[in-house]
Amino acid sequence: MNICMLTWEYPPRIVGGLARHCFGLARALARMGHSVHVVTLDFPGAPQYEESDGVKIYRTPIELGHPSFIVWTLLFNHFMEKKIGMLSRNIKFDVIHAHDWLVAFASIASKHYLKAPLISTIHSTEIGRSHGLHSPDSYLIDGIEWWLTYESKRVIVASNSMKNEVEGHFRLPSWKIDVIPNAVDASKYEITVDRALVKRRFGIDSSERIVLFVGRLVPQKGVEYLIMAAPKIVAQHPEARIVIVGDGWSKDQLWNLAASTGYRHKITFLGFLSDQDLIELTLSSDVLVVPSIYEPFGIVALEGMAAGVPVVASNTGGLAEVIEHDKTGFLAYRENSDSIAWGVNKILSDSGYASQLVQNAKRKIREVYSWDAVAKRTVETYEKALGE
Amino acid sequence: MSSKFTYIPDEIYFLCILHNVGATNLDRALTLEEIVRWTATDPSKAEENLTKLIENGYVGVSEIFGVKKYFITIEGIRKVLSIYS
Repeated sequence: MNICMLTWEYPPRIVGGLARHCFGLARALARMGHSVHVVTLDFPGAPQYEESDGVKIYRTPIELGHPSFIVWTLLFNHFMEKKIGMLSRNIKFDVIHAHDWLVAFASIASKHYLKAPLISTIHSTEIGRSHGLHSPDSYLIDGIEWWLTYESKRVIVASNSMKNEVEGHFRLPSWKIDVIPNAVDASKYEITVDRALVKRRFGIDSSERIVLFVGRLVPQKGVEYLIMAAPKIVAQHPEARIVIVGDGWSKDQLWNLAASTGYRHKITFLGFLSDQDLIELTLSSDVLVVPSIYEPFGIVALEGMAAGVPVVASNTGGLAEVIEHDKTGFLAYRENSDSIAWGVNKILSDSGYASQLVQNAKRKIREVYSWDAVAKRTVETYEKALGE
Repeated sequence: MSSKFTYIPDEIYFLCILHNVGATNLDRALTLEEIVRWTATDPSKAEENLTKLIENGYVGVSEIFGVKKYFITIEGIRKVLSIYS
């Protein structure tokens, strides 16, 4: 099958889970023997074309700009569409697979002129990310998301909670939506690291125990609740250090909040890390906290589970489906720093409990969350779209 | 709704504009004059924002024949994408 996959994020253009998802899925589809063409945006230092692990990657330069984000989005979609048009002279694409609203324009146009079915994966919605629609841009993005799902032959979401959200908000028929979870490449965590050395590299004392957060520093990730939990964690575990990995527009506000707790000296902001650094730091951590307020899936929880790090996650959205409380992780109340502190302290205090969570989580990762399994189910969705 | 969901600092909006107009590498760096035109910002405000962004590593500056030009770094691009991803 010739698959044309559109995404605005693809490594090394990595911000959140979207790039990781497309990377894992594209490689697994290529392993199955499909011809996968990823059309994405350029990034400093990355080639405009490369073939990696059997995936053909086209990084489209954006030749025009405009201060408005929405206009800029329309412009880059034009350049993506132009690239797909050029590719289609030599390749007959069987399916077009769009990831999120940002590539809706190019995807919908390609569907019509290539006469190929469009499948879209909705990773999150504007109304969920922003806790409502509060600006003209938000209303427009919400409309584009609806339009993308309407034009799609089939819609993929990563969790049942996301299915309910998309079905209810966009009034989509249930039969049109397939729930296919995210996955993780567990093999990348099968390395041995010198934890003391890794900690030193990041300015952390070898005796300290790492309570890790990884993600974009934006309100929907709920990092503030972890920061507010810091005094309660450190009171019971003075050896604990909260380590925050990632960047985002609310970083300064979180920095100030950390200072206001009086425990700034116990909270480290590391910014964005390379994949290798992140793997080594995760393997050197004692707890991973995913305190999200809104989380359609939460791929970072899977990464913690695959790395053998006990996970404390908020009881919301897809996280509540990935984590089984007290079995594969600890589910904390949403937007509740007391509950997060309780979970972290329980894991740091009870090594038997922690190791039981890790064993169960690793088993679940092996059985359910592999990219090969996800790719197989995605192909089933493509086949349904081709057959309808 | 809490205001935390709507408040994006001024300099980050400014960074977004630099990103959206395409100043994303050294070859496409812009002078202060060009930035002021694109962003419709007062020059002193533009300089203030640029200083903050350079301090934080989100904007880089090059000087050719005495003319300073500004561009967004990789960290700056990621910062912008984090708003919409």
